[in-house]
Amino acid sequence: MSIRSRLLTVAAVLSIGAAYGVMLPMAAQAETILNRGFGASPHTLDPHVNFGAREAWIQDDLYEGLVATAADGKVIPGAAESWDISDDGRTITFHLRPDLKWSNGEPLVAQDFINGILRTLDAKTASEKGYYFYNVIQITNTKGYAEGTVTDPAQVGLKAPDDKTVVISLDNPAPHAFFVLNSFQTTPLHTPSFEKFGEKFVEAGNQVGNGAYVLKENVPQSHVLLEKNPNYWNAANVKIDKVRYVVTEDVNTELKRYQAGEIDTTNEIPSDQREALKAELGGEVRETISTETMYISFNITKPPFDDVRVRRALSMAIDREALQDKVLKAGYKANYSYAPAVDPTYDGPKIAEAGMSKEEREEKARALLAEAGFGPDNPLKVGLLSTTDETEKREASALAIMWKQVLGVQADLQNQEFQAWLDTFYAGNWDVFNDNLVGDFPGPETYLVYMKPSSEAGYNWKNDEYENLMNKAATVADPAERLKILAQAEKILLDDYLTAPIASATSRHLVKPYVKGWVDNVVESHPSRFMSIEQ
Amino acid sequence: MLRYTIRRLVGAIPTMFALIAITFFIMRIAPGGPFDGNRKVTEVVKANLERAYHLDDPLWLQFLRYLWGVLHFDFGPSFKYRDYTVSELIWQGFPVSFEVGMWAIAIATVVGVTLGTVAALRQHSMIDYSVMAVGMTGVAVPTFVVGPLMQIVFGVSLLMLPVGGWDGSLERKIMPIIALALPNIAYIASLARGSMIESLRTNHVRTARAKGIGGWRTVTRHALIGGLVPVVAYLGPATAGIVTGSIVIEKVFSIPGIGRYFVDAALNRDYTLVLGVVIFYGFLIIIANLIVDLCYALLDPKVRYD
Repeated sequence: MSIRSRLLTVAAVLSIGAAYGVMLPMAAQAETILNRGFGASPHTLDPHVNFGAREAWIQDDLYEGLVATAADGKVIPGAAESWDISDDGRTITFHLRPDLKWSNGEPLVAQDFINGILRTLDAKTASEKGYYFYNVIQITNTKGYAEGTVTDPAQVGLKAPDDKTVVISLDNPAPHAFFVLNSFQTTPLHTPSFEKFGEKFVEAGNQVGNGAYVLKENVPQSHVLLEKNPNYWNAANVKIDKVRYVVTEDVNTELKRYQAGEIDTTNEIPSDQREALKAELGGEVRETISTETMYISFNITKPPFDDVRVRRALSMAIDREALQDKVLKAGYKANYSYAPAVDPTYDGPKIAEAGMSKEEREEKARALLAEAGFGPDNPLKVGLLSTTDETEKREASALAIMWKQVLGVQADLQNQEFQAWLDTFYAGNWDVFNDNLVGDFPGPETYLVYMKPSSEAGYNWKNDEYENLMNKAATVADPAERLKILAQAEKILLDDYLTAPIASATSRHLVKPYVKGWVDNVVESHPSRFMSIEQ
Repeated sequence: MLRYTIRRLVGAIPTMFALIAITFFIMRIAPGGPFDGNRKVTEVVKANLERAYHLDDPLWLQFLRYLWGVLHFDFGPSFKYRDYTVSELIWQGFPVSFEVGMWAIAIATVVGVTLGTVAALRQHSMIDYSVMAVGMTGVAVPTFVVGPLMQIVFGVSLLMLPVGGWDGSLERKIMPIIALALPNIAYIASLARGSMIESLRTNHVRTARAKGIGGWRTVTRHALIGGLVPVVAYLGPATAGIVTGSIVIEKVFSIPGIGRYFVDAALNRDYTLVLGVVIFYGFLIIIANLIVDLCYALLDPKVRYD
């Protein structure tokens, strides 16, 4: 070998050695990093604008609201360590923890929380989630403030008598309020950085928060990287140093990344591989019912769907269990009530089909339809509208087949792209509509409130008894009492068959066995600060 | 040639204007808007949202306002990705799409032309038939089959390459580039083969052979130049299309390019993002076509612009 090539070889060996020398100590103090599959790219990380449920995970890691949600979904103290509710249920006083700090070390005060809520309501922010404060619960004057009729924030039912106390005044008592006062709704506003950077205050580098993590990197369509916040009041108990939310548009690619070990949890599981994955991965497959309920709606302004017998017949002809277990196999749970079973303390009514055998149901269905004047010589024609989602299309086909077999119905299936579908719904050119609703909190009230004739959700349903019962329930402070009245209201809704329930959707994830602290729960609360990695 | 180039660029302006106008008004014809998806928003709040983005102004005023912004290179905020402007999204995504696309085109061109030339030189031999057969397969098998197949083999089973994602490292680039190159290799190979066969029969190539110039030099210096013309014609718009991101490849390999913006922005009614990517793509096509035409002049001495 020449001198030159010998020198080059020595240089190569030395540099490789140096590289190892640097890497080894780095490997020894490796930080724990959790890679969470996130699905499609987040729409925004602005805490007062964000309306997405997945983005809410990131929000829950970056910020903390007055209350927090535990790993199992229960309400626990957040930035507020305790609270008092007045006897009439209309005033909630939150006592913040001592020594709360922002991630940059500045003190965090009660007014910051109020400013956050006000920003959400402000028309300039263009946020869609202000309705939590005047529709889901009714904080005094928030609706007026959002619509611009109330301009002085001092008139809104939010007060900070001192730096450690937040007082919320409600027009009506709301036992479910604590579900809607967490990081999703009550992220505090760091006024100095908002004034300095405007809407860019949420960018990595500018972002100042009060959660367990701070934003380190946000690369659109690639990932969001979070790093532990040393100024978080409970930082000592946060075990994971870095969290990377990995964006993967395609659900099959996400599965492969999980199988290759690139991510530790997934956002979703491909429906067609559920069974195989359950057999292969066992406990790594996590399924639980979610707050999304699926049902079909009838256009009661359009004959013959104004006839309750027709509606009942169509509902009775559906074999709900077969639809889920044999046709869709997506893991959804058949449902016989409007409000899904998300609240174990609620003893809600069910439609009569729940207790009938298949033969009973079908016989009754045929009888009802015949009574309404339809039969083999006068078949019922039904138009069923769904979106272009694959599972929905299969469901629509299955419903059409069931209706044909049991009732001789001639069904016309239409599907439209989501926006067009919504447009058609409001225009009213439909017979039966493949519908769904996501609840704002795990209780029946959020679903039943949506159906109030006065909420004008587009169903054109008029029922004074229902409206009155719902209004009455809204004034009741005692949770058990309130649920009883809600059950009465739901019975009226079910008996009228404005809708026919189909199923409760499920949330599905894959979670590696070494990830601890992920608890399946209906509100999809999975804060990184309660998780750990055990290798 | 310079005057020709300038004339072409100036002539592109009315084309771009028509493109913007048509896209703008067609997007508005589709039902629904960016803030219609949420059924819980009250009418008043929805009106506020639309006012914040000037969606309540008369359409012609919105159009003029948009044009004014474009002239200042301001393409507006994205309606769906609230933290970013359209320029930022394109600026961040395009380099990635561009890198994957350019490598794919480069590989496809080199491999495709080589295969096509070899097939042309050995016409009707086993090599010719096998190149054409592979070509047919490459064109017929779609990328959304090839991509996941590669992921399963190299990513999950052999654990040799990462399944997806993008961090600038070579191992994350290999599979998407190859998956994107494959159908183009096939097409370019068959284009090159056809035109090379013709080119080899021309008078000037026959003259070169008759004068005793050796086989390989004949091919490269004499036959190939003319034979590349159809390939170049294909490459122009194809490059523009590929570097703006293949939506399938980007979705399958989870690459943060701009490919998916074309479809998803339309479905989301993200008006500004749709217009932004359409303008960007239109501009690239115009440039690509211009380059192709300039290349003609270089390749074919009979073509002259003045």
